[in-house]
Amino acid sequence: MNPSPIIRLDSVGIRRPDDSLPLLEGVDWTVFTGDWWEVTGAHGSGKTALLLSLAGLIPTVAGTITAFGDPVVAGAPKPPGWVPRVGLVFEGGGRLLRDRKVAENIALPIGYHRNGTLPEAIEQVWPWIEALDLERLADAPAGRIGRAWAQRVALARALSLDPEVLLLDNPTVGMDETHSEWWQGFLIRLRQGHPLLKHRPMTLIETTDAPRIGIQPQPQRAHLENSRLLILPPTRTPGIQGSHDNPLVRHP
Amino acid sequence: MLQAGRDLQALMESLGLRVLSFLDTTRRLTAFTLITTGVILTRAGTAHRIIHPLIRTQLVQAGILLLPIIAVVGMALGFAIVGQTLSILTRVGQTSLIGSLFVTVIFRELAPLGAALVVLARVGTPTVVELGTSRALGEVEALEALGIDPVHYLVVPRVVGITLAVMSLTVYLQIFAALSGWLFCFGANLPVTAGDYLGRIVGALHWFDFPVLGLKTLAFGSCGALIACYQGLSRPLRLEEVPGAATRTVAHSVVAFLVLDAVFLVITLLLPG
Repeated sequence: MNPSPIIRLDSVGIRRPDDSLPLLEGVDWTVFTGDWWEVTGAHGSGKTALLLSLAGLIPTVAGTITAFGDPVVAGAPKPPGWVPRVGLVFEGGGRLLRDRKVAENIALPIGYHRNGTLPEAIEQVWPWIEALDLERLADAPAGRIGRAWAQRVALARALSLDPEVLLLDNPTVGMDETHSEWWQGFLIRLRQGHPLLKHRPMTLIETTDAPRIGIQPQPQRAHLENSRLLILPPTRTPGIQGSHDNPLVRHP
Repeated sequence: MLQAGRDLQALMESLGLRVLSFLDTTRRLTAFTLITTGVILTRAGTAHRIIHPLIRTQLVQAGILLLPIIAVVGMALGFAIVGQTLSILTRVGQTSLIGSLFVTVIFRELAPLGAALVVLARVGTPTVVELGTSRALGEVEALEALGIDPVHYLVVPRVVGITLAVMSLTVYLQIFAALSGWLFCFGANLPVTAGDYLGRIVGALHWFDFPVLGLKTLAFGSCGALIACYQGLSRPLRLEEVPGAATRTVAHSVVAFLVLDAVFLVITLLLPG
């Protein structure tokens, strides 16, 4: 069965909120179910803005973004009962609610969307807390844990809603080797289908400063440069099969 | 002559800019109020097991924890206004006026204003700092990304909690003021019995005093809470801008309280009795 497109960008333009100059222009991109994309680019090239626009947090100034067949419109009122199908992990500590405990941060979305109390919601998300090795931090205030652990809490929080697409904004920046390796291993498991997600392969879109080389499955790569998104050919390393053939890959 | 003309022009321009800025802030605040009202009405049943505990927390912070201060303010008002005025009225043989005086000065004016100012000072400013910091650190966007309406999660509990707190604290302030006024009479050995004192206060009250008081405290509480939330959330703040937003909250709220007070004064004067 061919994978189906779940996110599509047609001639998308994005501007910085405080700047009249375009940050991204004419971005055409299609993301299929089960894809794993790594988006690279220099600092300030628009990687974060691209993810925020995919999550519907900042508006586009041109073109359209479609997710799951519906247009993504920033600031549009959401009907009661609406649950996001796209999860987002922010850069630099994940923007946790500092005055809440770690477990409460992870459980809050479930409690809010399913109208449960926080203790009930914590019970529901506990498997994720265990899967991400966060048990010993569960009762710690989120504002007092280290940045690498906060990033992991943000990942658990995003996964608690069982999203179909996970956006990760430079998740391993500034992390030591141990945490970076953990992230790589966990993302591979998500891409292959985590047991807590009923083995459904997760679609991943990750911005990064350090592309992952030589892992299996190999992420597809796109690069932001001069306000444009360039789709890069698959990275092949000896003895390792590259990413699956994607008809959208442009070979320069 | 030319210089004087230039000065006048500069003054008029400055005045014009301030008026435009005031109108713009009023417009934005009105829009924020309408959005919050819409969220309160449309999401009343949504996630109430998450939102109601937040409202209770606000009620504790803005209500129960402020009871000691309200007691002190109420007692001070009672001693200063009721007690001393009663002492003067006794000398001129007009103690029957004490009921009207209490209702006009304390029940209708100072109690709602005093409770609102105490809550503004103790809770309004921290609210701006909390929300401004949340906005500055990107927590608001994080809530949006999780499908949690930031107005529903951050603003509604504060507005509802602070409003209910101002309404309740006003009543307590009135009770403490009445009580301390009577204690003053008792201590000063004035010829007014407790029954007389209470009877004159009750006799001076009109039926409309109660709905007007309810509406007035509702307006004061919601207005102060909305201004605090608006200043904290209305635009992305840098951390160093948060104290400025807190100062603006106090200034705008005090002006709003005075305007509302004038409106309710006119309403009261227009009512029969």
